[in-house]
Amino acid sequence: MSIVEVRELVKKYPSFELKEVSFTVDAGRITGFIGRNGAGKTTTIKSMLNLVHPDGGEVCYFGKPLQGNETEIKKHIGYSTGTVNWYPRKKIRDIVDIVKRFYDTWDDEAYGKYLAMFRLDETKTPLELSEGMKVKFNLLVALSHRAEVLILDEPTSGLDPFSRSELLDVFEELKKDGVAVFFSTHIISDIEKCADDIVYISGGRIVAAMPREEFIAQHSAPGETLEAAMLRMERGEGNA
Amino acid sequence: MRNIMRKELKLSSSPLAFLFIAFGAMFMLPGYPVLCGAFFVTLGLFQSFQTAREANDIVFSALLPIAKKDVVRGRMLFVCFIELCGLLLMLVSVVVRMTVLSEAGLYRTNALMNANFFALGGALVIFGLFNLIFVAGFFKTAYQIGKPFVIYIVIAFLTITVFEALHHFPLLGALNAFGTDHLGLQLSLLAAGVVVYVLLTALAYRKGCRSFEKIDL
Repeated sequence: MSIVEVRELVKKYPSFELKEVSFTVDAGRITGFIGRNGAGKTTTIKSMLNLVHPDGGEVCYFGKPLQGNETEIKKHIGYSTGTVNWYPRKKIRDIVDIVKRFYDTWDDEAYGKYLAMFRLDETKTPLELSEGMKVKFNLLVALSHRAEVLILDEPTSGLDPFSRSELLDVFEELKKDGVAVFFSTHIISDIEKCADDIVYISGGRIVAAMPREEFIAQHSAPGETLEAAMLRMERGEGNA
Repeated sequence: MRNIMRKELKLSSSPLAFLFIAFGAMFMLPGYPVLCGAFFVTLGLFQSFQTAREANDIVFSALLPIAKKDVVRGRMLFVCFIELCGLLLMLVSVVVRMTVLSEAGLYRTNALMNANFFALGGALVIFGLFNLIFVAGFFKTAYQIGKPFVIYIVIAFLTITVFEALHHFPLLGALNAFGTDHLGLQLSLLAAGVVVYVLLTALAYRKGCRSFEKIDL
């Protein structure tokens, strides 16, 4: 079942344009959103969160448009954005104490579990965290309120290989619970490891949005890795 | 709304916003343009906006499960809370000057305006201008604080100058009443200040919501 539907999203900037971006994110599946730097990943994600206003198209969650249902929908979404520093001089514990009150579904047990898994110290401030640990802090908040959809902007960037692997395992666990995980990345091996579906964006246009197996069947030459196929496509050399 | 206010108080605000409430006590200073006290209270708020901006507070708030207008409402409530704390201190100063110090020569020989109910109304006008020019101006971009603050400074000081000058004009001497003189007029002027403050703040909130809804973060 599609939990998120992005329909013909258009956003025009002076030097960049999202061109009728459409795809769906399904419950119990992991969707990897891949594209090079500047391809439109963050603009798409920001549009999905009503942080930027599309010039056309719409985003629906649970069959309801985001516009007009924002408050209710956001309660069911977990969001994490890379290494942005929220309240750099406040203790993590104090930030979480405020945030948790906004969610009826906040789960202290899950919070404790991920806190231990990510080895985060609640008494530290974001300023004292490394880039990778900042990503983990953002993920911690996103994962602790039993979100039905997780929208994660480059969650693996800055993580060491061990933490990346752990995080991808967390995605697998969440998937079993029926959570829809949508994460952007420019690291193709992340997609290879865990994505069920691939949404591939290039130059503001969706090149492919389909299950991984289908993507490989359509776009990869026999024996060619996903990475090699995508690099070839990005160079504009067409399908194998 | 309690949650967003708690966030404003505990995460977004600068300690200076709370410390600068103390400038409300400038209403006790003799021979000083007392309405500058109201300006200094808003200076603390300006610092607080800067602190919040550095902490990426606006995007953080916009991602919480609340409507965007609630982000504006939370900030406006915080601003009003600080302003009203400052006003409370000014009120205490005014009452002290009207009662136990009503005959103090230091205040009686003051060329500048007396700290009375009219001055309290004036402070409310300054606060209302801050809300309309600075707070609503900030939400046009959600990052630019310099330009709306400079515009506010110019208009606030022009307004202070007008308030300071008024009682020197013929027939307007009662504006500078001491003790309980002209109490009816003084209370009416305070009520007018309250009305102006409420109107300017309501307008600022509406403008802020409209602008904030339109911008990309």
